[in-house]
Amino acid sequence: MTSEQMLAEIKEANLTYLMLAQNLIRQDKAQALFRLGISEESAELIEMLSPAQVMKLASDTMLLCRFRAGDDMVWNLLTNQTVATRTVNESTTRLHASILMSSRFAETAF
Amino acid sequence: MATQKSIRNESRQIERAVSLIEMGARLQVLESETELSYERLLRLYKEVAGKSPSKGQLPFSTDWFLTWQPNIHASLFQNIYTHLMKTSPLEPIDALIKAFQLYTEQIQTCGLEPQLSITRAWRLVRFMENKMLAMTPCSKCGGHFVTEPYENTRHFVCGLCEPPARAGKGAAASAPLQ
Repeated sequence: MTSEQMLAEIKEANLTYLMLAQNLIRQDKAQALFRLGISEESAELIEMLSPAQVMKLASDTMLLCRFRAGDDMVWNLLTNQTVATRTVNESTTRLHASILMSSRFAETAF
Repeated sequence: MATQKSIRNESRQIERAVSLIEMGARLQVLESETELSYERLLRLYKEVAGKSPSKGQLPFSTDWFLTWQPNIHASLFQNIYTHLMKTSPLEPIDALIKAFQLYTEQIQTCGLEPQLSITRAWRLVRFMENKMLAMTPCSKCGGHFVTEPYENTRHFVCGLCEPPARAGKGAAASAPLQ
């Protein structure tokens, strides 16, 4: 991957993320905060962005969104690194991961 | 002015009641969460659901939430609910509706059937408020789970880190998972 390609892809990812975030926030702010894992203040800022501002923000060399798994435990569950046992199958592992992610956020929420 | 306000308020109440009925809430939930009269709720129920509401008492025991599979579902729902209540200035009943939608979505993406009904979810929130149930962090994974109020936090291990021997062997649990 050349660096131009890389920058173009980062820009595209940023743009997709911002547009999705705006849609989610406009549709239902409370649920969007949960889905995006951002604060109400950030959500308000993102909601107000004009298309021109979105374009400007997106053309950065850094990605605007980041992984929210938080720690190894969640990563292992999400990537199914744990050994499957009689009772613990794939869907329970995924549920475990979502409980962990949602409780991290319920814990640290401001 | 006053009448205008109350009509708007009433329309909001009706909207809420309709979403609750569509989610399958029992009449008792509607009676407690809206200011609409019993007669109007009954008519609304028949109009939206196309049938008379189920009769009888609501399940009132906290035990159900502590059995293995329901506990996982209840914990997921309660975490979402707490998150919504902490991040947004929502009225509890709106948070309940939104959290239940998110919960159902999450369960369906995992290819499972929702175990928690809206009525159960509402009971759960009530039990939490009255401190008949509590959230306790698991000492292994750190996730928050629905437990009895005085669970020992130092030794508590959740049902997902250490599933009980016969977990997932019941009739409901052995239903095929895609």
